[in-house]
Amino acid sequence: MNRGPLLFLGLFAAMACSWTGFVLGPQLQLGGLAQTNTVVVGDALSQTYPLAEPGQARAGADVYRANGCAACHTQMVRPDDLGSDIRRGWGVRRSLAEDYLFQQPVMPGSQRIGPDLSNFGRRADFRGILLRLYDPRKIGFFPSPDALVLPAKDAPAPGREVVPLPEARALAAYLLSLRQDGYLFEAPPPLSKTNALEGAAK
Amino acid sequence: MLILFAGAATWLLAASLLGLLDSLKFHAPAFLAGQAWLSYGRVDAARHAAFLYGFGAPSALGLALWLTCRLGRATLAGPGIVVIGAILWNLAAALGVAAILCGGGTGFDYFEMPLSCAWILFAAFLLMGVCALLTFHRREPGFLYPSQWFAIGSLFWFAWIFSTACMVLLFAPERGVLQASTAWWCERNFDTVFLGFAGLGSAFYFIPKLLGRSLHSHYQAALGFWTLAVFGSWGGIPNGAPLPSWIISLGVAGTVLTAVPVLAVATNFYQTARGDMNGLDADPTLRFTCAGLMFWIIASAQQIAGALPGVSVITDFTWFGAAQKELFHYGFFAMTVFGALYFIVPRLLGLDDSAWCPKLLKGHFFLALFGALISGLSLWAAGVGQGILLANPGNSFTDVLRRAMLPARVSLLGDLFVVAGTILFLLNFAGVLARACRRGCAARKERP
Repeated sequence: MNRGPLLFLGLFAAMACSWTGFVLGPQLQLGGLAQTNTVVVGDALSQTYPLAEPGQARAGADVYRANGCAACHTQMVRPDDLGSDIRRGWGVRRSLAEDYLFQQPVMPGSQRIGPDLSNFGRRADFRGILLRLYDPRKIGFFPSPDALVLPAKDAPAPGREVVPLPEARALAAYLLSLRQDGYLFEAPPPLSKTNALEGAAK
Repeated sequence: MLILFAGAATWLLAASLLGLLDSLKFHAPAFLAGQAWLSYGRVDAARHAAFLYGFGAPSALGLALWLTCRLGRATLAGPGIVVIGAILWNLAAALGVAAILCGGGTGFDYFEMPLSCAWILFAAFLLMGVCALLTFHRREPGFLYPSQWFAIGSLFWFAWIFSTACMVLLFAPERGVLQASTAWWCERNFDTVFLGFAGLGSAFYFIPKLLGRSLHSHYQAALGFWTLAVFGSWGGIPNGAPLPSWIISLGVAGTVLTAVPVLAVATNFYQTARGDMNGLDADPTLRFTCAGLMFWIIASAQQIAGALPGVSVITDFTWFGAAQKELFHYGFFAMTVFGALYFIVPRLLGLDDSAWCPKLLKGHFFLALFGALISGLSLWAAGVGQGILLANPGNSFTDVLRRAMLPARVSLLGDLFVVAGTILFLLNFAGVLARACRRGCAARKERP
């Protein structure tokens, strides 16, 4: 290996192999992924999935990105045999490629210092999220259905009130939009749980 | 080249200070709250960007340039262009970190800097990379030493992964989950191959040279080099990612096969140093480089273990991954670069090794060593503990987080050590620069 060109050729081949496998290959397989229809469960109708986020949630995704929320939160439910995510209630099924179709940028995250947020929209409400965003440690664990009425010791001085900024509202809307719950062909509902969706609907 | 290294060292301080702030914020979220630009997520991203683009890439480039000159017995081609490239690079990196703190981060790990900064970084890299290639071309004919392969390999790798990231993540983003898979792939290549090549290239030069022996086996070195290039570049995708399973399996296979280069490189160095292990402690450069190699072996073994599905069930998405990065970045890469700098800097300035203050040097070694060890091991313990507890869905998530806090707090101590060590190094570096200036002035006075 004493020839420069040989060295370059070898490096090029090694890199090209890897690039073809990990960048080009997935692009060829998934680049044309389109919206699809959910599997019919019980008497629920088949729906188009996924749907693009509503406008305010789109703005909230920018707040999520700009503040590096993905440093502590993942958005990826692992299959049942590769972790306790589903049993923990973070999702009804594993995450699939379709779930991320309209996200820009896709922020799957790498560490869970906070809980997984793939389906946060399924388990939270707008007001509750705003309270959490205001101070997750003080009141985050007691989501209130009311307006931002804070406990006495954290209540703002008389004559003042805590009003969520537009960013907080947008972020809450984005978090509410997170739900990967359409059953798809690759991950049909477990047979014993076919009532899960109906239950959720009620 | 000195500019590149001085910039890199200063950046390391910036990165480790940001790291410290990051840890502090983690343990006391109220600290500096109300300053959006200093919130945890932004500081965390800025810290990584400062390490990778402030310290990591420029020092890898500097090593590649120096090794290419030294081993090819050639003078640097276009030194002026390299200086311009280095200045441009540092400006762009500073801009990028500022942009992340202002909320301009892209949301992709390792490629957080906005596209505008990424273009400047790439242009600066091209300026320096072309000079490196021209220098390589000027080499004396004959045998190519392994360090030269590694140096050229690291340049080649950075060009390819960084341009891929710019194009398909930032400029013309791919659709949906493909962004995640490309980002994971680029991240793995950045660490394992780009930084790995740069650090190993330096080790292949310094260990045999300073021991005064010849490298045990060039064939084994070639085996390590090519298998690292082929297998090291596969993977980085978490098991259970929402991707077709063939991609994930390919990644696991590649990661497990990196055991081949690890063994090839480790046994090669062992055979080279056999019978003179004490000699490894004799010289600061050797000491740093050997410690770096140890960290490389540990971090690589951890990466292999973490890719196995049986282990990743427990360790994925916990502190385990952060521990691996800590060991790889601050243990392997930073230590190896420091070792190289203790040799290179005085020679660039026309001084010898006695220019360094031995006390500061010793202090730096132990602070850097224990800093990386404490941080890495405590995060490792936190990750494994957290993972085992989380595997039982009966344990509430917040409870598990609280229990994993103690070891995570210990890692703050490691961060402090790293900052202190880097400050010692910079003081020493400034001392050497001052000595070189004084000598230069004296020499000028002598010949009027």
